Formats: sequence, C-alpha cells, structure tokens
Amino acid sequence: MTDDTGAPARHGEPIRCHPSIVVERSLSGIVVLAVLVMQLGRGALPALLAALFVAVVLFNYRQWSRTTVRFNETDVVVERDTLFKTKKTLPYAKMASVNINRGVLNRVLGTARLQININSGSGATVPEAVLTFSEDVAEGIRAEMAQRLYGSEPVSDEEEPAEPTVAFSPADVIVHGLFSVSTYQTVFGFAFLACSVFQLYTSAGVGGGALVSLLIFVVVQVAPSVSLIAHYYNYRVYRRGETIYLEHGLIRTYRTSFAASRINAVRVKRTLAARLLGRSCIEAEVVGLASGSGESLRPVLCLLKDDAAQQRLLEELVPEFVYDRNPERQPAGARSVLLVRAAIASFALVLAMAWPSLYVYHAASTLAGAAGVVLPWVLPLATALAVLAISYATLVSYQITKFDAGRDLFTFVNGAVDRETVVMNYDKVQMVRVERGPVARIFGVARGKVYLLSAIGGASVSSGYFSEERLGVIGETVMERIASGEYDYRKNRI
Amino acid sequence: MFSPGADTDGYRRLDRKCMLSMYIGHALSYAVLLAIYFAVRTYAEGFLGPYYDLVGYGLVFILAITLVYIAVAPPVFYARYRYRITDDRIDVRYGVLVIRHILVPIERVHQVEIARGPINNLLDLADVTITTAGGEVSIRYLEVDEAEKVADRLNDLIGKMLRERVPGPAGA
Repeated sequence: MTDDTGAPARHGEPIRCHPSIVVERSLSGIVVLAVLVMQLGRGALPALLAALFVAVVLFNYRQWSRTTVRFNETDVVVERDTLFKTKKTLPYAKMASVNINRGVLNRVLGTARLQININSGSGATVPEAVLTFSEDVAEGIRAEMAQRLYGSEPVSDEEEPAEPTVAFSPADVIVHGLFSVSTYQTVFGFAFLACSVFQLYTSAGVGGGALVSLLIFVVVQVAPSVSLIAHYYNYRVYRRGETIYLEHGLIRTYRTSFAASRINAVRVKRTLAARLLGRSCIEAEVVGLASGSGESLRPVLCLLKDDAAQQRLLEELVPEFVYDRNPERQPAGARSVLLVRAAIASFALVLAMAWPSLYVYHAASTLAGAAGVVLPWVLPLATALAVLAISYATLVSYQITKFDAGRDLFTFVNGAVDRETVVMNYDKVQMVRVERGPVARIFGVARGKVYLLSAIGGASVSSGYFSEERLGVIGETVMERIASGEYDYRKNRI
Repeated sequence: MFSPGADTDGYRRLDRKCMLSMYIGHALSYAVLLAIYFAVRTYAEGFLGPYYDLVGYGLVFILAITLVYIAVAPPVFYARYRYRITDDRIDVRYGVLVIRHILVPIERVHQVEIARGPINNLLDLADVTITTAGGEVSIRYLEVDEAEKVADRLNDLIGKMLRERVPGPAGA
C-alpha cells in the first residue's frame, strides 16, 4: 500500500487524503458565494463574502491536514483531530463493498474517491467513508481491500478484468435510458408534452403555461433518460470468482464490485416499451453500495437487452438466483377481489370527475372553432379511458401475477403494465407479513409482504392474492431452513 | 413460553387496559381533528368561497366516520390481538380492518427496545419493538412487567444463539 505521495505506506501507518480534497470541498462554497456576489454585490458585501470564502478554504485545509486514515490488519480507522474530534473504525469483517468513483474534478486532478460501505440498514444510502486519493493510490488500496473482502483472487487480477459475458453497445445504453423509465412516468411526461403542444396551438404565441408544461415534460421524461444514458455509458459487467464487477459512466465514472453472496434478491424488469421491444433488464438488491450522490442504489446487472441475452447473463452472473420455476397463478378468489377493487376505483374516479367534467363542458361549449367542439368532451373521454384502463389492468394483473416457492428460492411476479419478476433467497428474508383486508377475507385470499435488507435500508416485496396457507409457506420454509441447519449464518452475515 | 395466561395454541392476549390507552390516544387525535374543523368553519369562508359548504360537509363526514372507527376499533383490536414467542420465532396477529400476521425468526432480530409514551406511562403499559435488518415489528400495549419479561426472553434467546455460534470462516 502507498500513501498519497506515492511512497509505500506500511499497515497501521497514518496517511492523509490527497490535498485536492480541499478544492473539492471548497468548490460548492465558491459557487454559492459567486451567486450571492452577483445578486447582492454592492458595498462591502463582496469583500465580506471573499473573506468568508477564504475562511471556508482554511477550514477545509485544517480538516484535511488533521484527518488521517490508517489501514490496519483488521480495520480501517479514519481519525479527525479538529474541534469536533472523530474516530471512525470500519472493520473489514463488516464491510459490504469498496468502490471507486471519479467525478469531473477528480478526472481533472487525477484523483479518485474511494468509498467504503458497511452492511448497515440504517445508513444504507450514504457510504461510511469517502476518501480521495490520487488515482493509482486509490486503485492500489481498493485492490488490496478487495483481496481482504472477497478473498480468492490475487491483487494483480484486478488489472485484468474478465471478458464480459454480454457486451453492451452505446445503442443498448441509449435504449436503456429511453425505455427503462417506468411507463406511468412516461405517460405522465407525455401528457404534459401534449398539454404544452395544445396550449401552443390554442394561444397565439409561446405562453407561460405551455413553457411550464414543457418544463415538466423535460424534468419527468427527458432528464431521467439523459441521466441514465450518462450514468450507464461504457457499461461493463462481469463476474470473477465470487465477485461481481460493474464499470460505467460518462461524466462520473463508477467501478463497483461486491460479493455475489451479498445479493438479497434479483429483479428482472420489463417496462411496457421494453416488452414491445422484447427486452428486459436485471437489478440486484445489494446493501452497501451507496455513493452518497443520490443515484439509484440498486446495481443494474444487465441493461435492457433482448430476453435471450438477459437470461444468459442472469445464468452466468448470478446462477445462485436461477432455478426451475413452477409458478402458480392466483386463485379464483383473487379475481373477485381485484374486480371489487377495480369497481371501487372506477366509481371513485367517476364520482371525482363528474363535477369537473360538467363544469368544463359548460365553460368550453361556448368557445368558437375546434376548441368549442373538442374541449367539452376531453374530461368525460379521459374518465372513460381511465375506467377502461383500470378494467384492463385488473384483468392483466390477474393473469400475470404469480407466485412460486422453490427449495432455496421463491419468486413473486407482479405488474400489469411494467412487469417485475423478483427472485428471493429464503435465507435473506428478515420478516414475513401476511395480511387480509375486509374484501380479501370474504373471498378467502391474502397478500404477502417479504421484508429484506435492501440498498435503501429495509424494503418489502409484495405478492399478489393467494391463500393464506400458501403464502405461509415462505415463513415456514425460512424457519425450517434455520432449524435444519440449511441456513448458514456465516454466508449471510449482515 | 410464558405459558401462564397463554391460549391453548400458545398465543397470548393483551391486557384489557390497552383499550383505555387506545381510547385516550384516539380522543386526543380526534380533538386535533375537531380543532381543524372549527378553524376551517371560522376562518376559511373567504378563502374557500363557493366551496365553503362543500368542504364543511366533507369534514363533517370525515369526523363522523372517524368517530365510529374510534368507538369500534379498540375492542376489535383487543379481541384480535395475539402474540407468541417461541424459541425460534416471534409471531404477532393483529388488525382492525386489515388483519395482519407477522412472523420474525429470532435469528434475524438485531435489537429489542421497550418504549413507553405518556399515556402508556399512566396505565403502566409499554411497547416492545423488535428490529431486524429489513424492518421492525412492535408488540404493543403490554403490561410493563410483561414487556420486561418479553424483552429479557428475547435478549436471552439472541444471546444463546450467538454463543452457540462458533467463529469460523465464511462459507465454511
């Protein structure tokens, strides 16, 4: 291991992060202060703000100079000797992942962020330590720590990644960016685009209303797609031994690795658009991969790819989550519950839309031209379409929702529009809840909720409607595996 | 486990005082709702304009439904609430409208906490919250002694389980 000057650092020897961390931390401050100067820049205020900025830089310098990191035999200790002293000990035995993340500034300065995550449900969204080092030092430390965490591979293998099983072209990344966004979000976004176009058509010029609608479309639809494309640019995934490696990123680059045994569940997702294209993607539920930058915490094991490639990658990357499924459909009682729910939802919708529809009808029928013909019927038509959509979703949901209880794994299949197949390991189940609402009780069915440790802390996965006894199998199997010794706590450390 | 007072299937029921605790808690919540109602009736006429009466009727409807729920829920909650702690699991059945059955393997328990709010303090009741890595479950409205026993028992079981585990390499 080396310290940040490039000199070798012995185990237990305190080292400091790269000095560029002072610039990194002060940069956001300078942007805020620059905005303040531009807005309020009169008299002595700019001088005061400049002094404040110098103070921020000095503060960050002091933080950097008094913060040391020690990579010991059994743990990593981050110690800060400032006014508020801290000493954070991160044992290797409790670490979930050590990853490298490079933003624009890191690339300009030749540095990288080393992010250490602990298997913690409470602080799952933020890494326990973010340490900036020069790129080669960070890579060296990560390789050595990966060797400690994942064990089997020699450090030199880190430099020679295995050949990915499935290659992802830029076109795959773009397709993933465009079509992996949820259908509801897409419909919502395009409704605002249509609204914007309609407002432009009915008004003489570009009105404020049209711009607001267009802005909402950009925020809801365009921005997430562009963000996904930038996030997954140059995407590579491969598995070596028991470790899965992910590499991607256009502006900020990510190099992530985690032990396959850390995966609690695997989700195969198909949005409506993806299904029409015959594509699906895979996400894994792994705790301890937080980057603290607000991105999705669920690692994507496969971008939207044709179903055959997705299945091949699933079998090669996570064979632990592949088994011969024999899924069962919901019983007849479930259909009755779904129909009652659909009827109640449709009735509530019609009731809620009745008065607005009448109001718009009377107000718009006085308008001249096409607007006077079309507008009065917009809300009644939209309501009728929504009721039809509810009925269709109910029928599809009844047919699609499935449950399968295997020996080591079990599966929930859900989703009328965007489909999701979640394969879970009994040994990762933390808690099982079976609930029966008043309507479900009449028809003798219940819904199950399985609680797992997830990337955002705790998360639950819900089933469709099945008999209480059938769903009870999940909890009983979890208990049986613990009692029989099939469950190995050493493989399932939290 | 804790056999005195348990049903034949091993499930235990709550003390009847839980209903009083719920009634007091619900009454306080209802007082807040009433305050909102009177505030809307007194000050919101100008703001709501032609919708003033409609909103008023809506609030009266909500108040009536809530009152019925508050009156009926505690006895139903008491009648349905069952919990059972065995050597390997915690089992809780409860619910007023939706009936829930929660199963937590003792193996997954990370933390056990006893909590008492001001109302429960008056009535010598306490909640035991059991935390796992994926979520938490509470056994509510236990008598303080019973809550202490439940927490001690759970801590003993977890301690026993951890002591039985001989350290060894992962995957062994």
